[in-house]
Order: sequence, then structure tokens, then C-alpha cells
Amino acid sequence: MINKINYKNKKLEELNKKIDKIKTNNSEKLNNKVSQSGASFGFKISTEIIAALVVGVGIGLIVDNYFNTKPFGLIIFFIFGAFAGFLNVYRVMRRIEKQR
Amino acid sequence: MAAKDSPLKQFEIDPISKIELGGYNISFTNSSLAMLVTVLLITLFLTLTVNTRSIIPSRMQLISELMYNFIAQLLSDTVGDNGKKYFPFVFSLFMFVLIGNMVGMIPYQFTFTSHIIVTFALAAVVFVGVTILGFVNHGIKFFTFFYIPGVPFYMHPLLIPIEVISYLSRPISLSVRLFANMLAGHTLLKVFAGFVVSMPFFTGVFPLAFIVALTGLEILIAFLQAYVFAILTCLYINDAYHLH
Repeated sequence: MINKINYKNKKLEELNKKIDKIKTNNSEKLNNKVSQSGASFGFKISTEIIAALVVGVGIGLIVDNYFNTKPFGLIIFFIFGAFAGFLNVYRVMRRIEKQR
Repeated sequence: MAAKDSPLKQFEIDPISKIELGGYNISFTNSSLAMLVTVLLITLFLTLTVNTRSIIPSRMQLISELMYNFIAQLLSDTVGDNGKKYFPFVFSLFMFVLIGNMVGMIPYQFTFTSHIIVTFALAAVVFVGVTILGFVNHGIKFFTFFYIPGVPFYMHPLLIPIEVISYLSRPISLSVRLFANMLAGHTLLKVFAGFVVSMPFFTGVFPLAFIVALTGLEILIAFLQAYVFAILTCLYINDAYHLH
């Protein structure tokens, strides 16, 4: 009798292990698929830089317009925008690294 | 090439019924129709499939539950316990973008996510909402979000503008990514479809085969972009709770 119960428990444990294994495998596969797609990765990086540059140039032009400081506002904020773009890319990369 | 054959023809807005209100053009366009169809599809699908509420779900109910779980998991992974109240918002956004992209993949259908004004409006809602959320949670302290601790004091005049620009660029990168992906993908499909007809003899088969593969890739991208939109929204909500 006890042997039988032990046997059943053993079987159940084995089954649980199997299910866990498949679950982790599946989630790993899904994560890999989502994070690795060349085109979308390229778009991700390029849009980060472009967006930051657009904002930087926009602020620069507005500053020039208000304070009559042509072309210095544009130059300074363009550089800030470029740095912000690199910062964005750095953050995206760090997030991707964390996911792996 | 004649204008009617242009691969960009598919993105043209044409008003189905012209409406003007107080000097503004608020016509019901093919873009509005696509959005309406998307919303109706989502509502019908979700209500009909979970209608039976069976404990052992049917296949369709399983799809709905998978979508629900997908976003719920995303929110709990990125935001934590605070994220539960934002589930309806993120889920609506995700489904709207996802089904909108998928509706656009049906031939002769309009893709509303290929217009930057649509994606920018969505991103602006996220951006403004998250900024308000940050101020509600932290009050005036929210400005310390731009202040990086552990940096020499003379670096702050440089770093604060960079942080502010980085923050302001969020809605732009969020909207441009979705818009550019959809625009580029659909244009590429149309360009290669043009090759099928214009190439001599039977060689049009090769671009045709390529289009078949590309359509599969486009469907993947349609899903991926909706996912990216949702996960970035979650991350921004998380930032509004935890400064740094």
C-alpha cells in the first residue's frame, strides 16, 4: 500500500518536473523571439537618436526665436540633443541586456 | 509612373463623408473607418469569446485569455503591484495597435498606424498621462527625476538639459517607431508587388515568393510593434512611480 502511494508521488513529482521544464523552455523561446529581430532592433536604435535630435533642434530653434541668439541656441541644443540620443541608446541597450 | 500606381497610394486619406464643424475638417475618412472596424472587432471578439465563461476554455476563449495574461504579466513584471490599475489602459492601447496593424495586413485595407498623427496622438496620451501621474505621485519632487545622484556637482548644468531632452523625446521615439515600421513595411510590399507584374516572362515568380515571406515578417512586425508600444508604456508608468 505505502509502496503504491510512494510510487504515485514519485510519478507526480516527475510530471511536475517535466511541466516546469517545458514552461521555462517556452518562456525562454518567446523572450528570444521578441528581443531578436534585426529590423526592429535597428529601428529601435535609430528612432531613439532621431527623436532626441528632433527635440534638441526644436528647443534650439525656439530659444533662438525668443532670445534672438541665432545660431548659438541651435548649436548648443543640437549637441545636447545628440548626447541625449546616445543616452537613450545606452538605456535601451541596458534594458535589452537585462532581458537576456 | 502614374500617380495611381504609386506604392504610396495606399496611405492616401479619402473622406467617405465630408463633415465640417466650426471651420475644422472632421470628415469621416477611410482612416476613421479602419479605426471603427478595429474597435468593433476587438469588442465583438472579446465579448463573444469570453461570453460562455467555461472553466475549460474553448480555443477562442483561450486566445482572449492569452491576450489578457500577456498584458497582465507584462504589467506585473515591469511595474509590480502598482500596475494593476493601469491594466485597462495598457490593454486597450495594445489591442488597438495590434488589431489595427492586423487589419492593415488584409489586402485593400487601410493601415491607420501608418500615419504619424495617429501614432503621435497615442504616444502623446501616454506621455501626458505619465507626466501627470508622476506629479500626482511625487508632487514637485518629480523634477528630481532629471537630477542624477552621485555625479560631481559641476556636471549637472550639462546633464539636466540632456535628461530633459531625453524625457521629451519619449513620445517622438514611441510614435516614430510604430509609424516608420508600418509605413516602410507596407511600402516595401507594394514595391515588390509592382515587380511581379513588370518583370519579363516567368521571373515575376521570384518577387512573388519574396512577398509571401515578407508578409509573414510583416505580421511578426505588426505584433512586435504593438508589444513594444505596450512594454514602453509600462516602463514609463514604472518611471512615474520610481524615480531612478
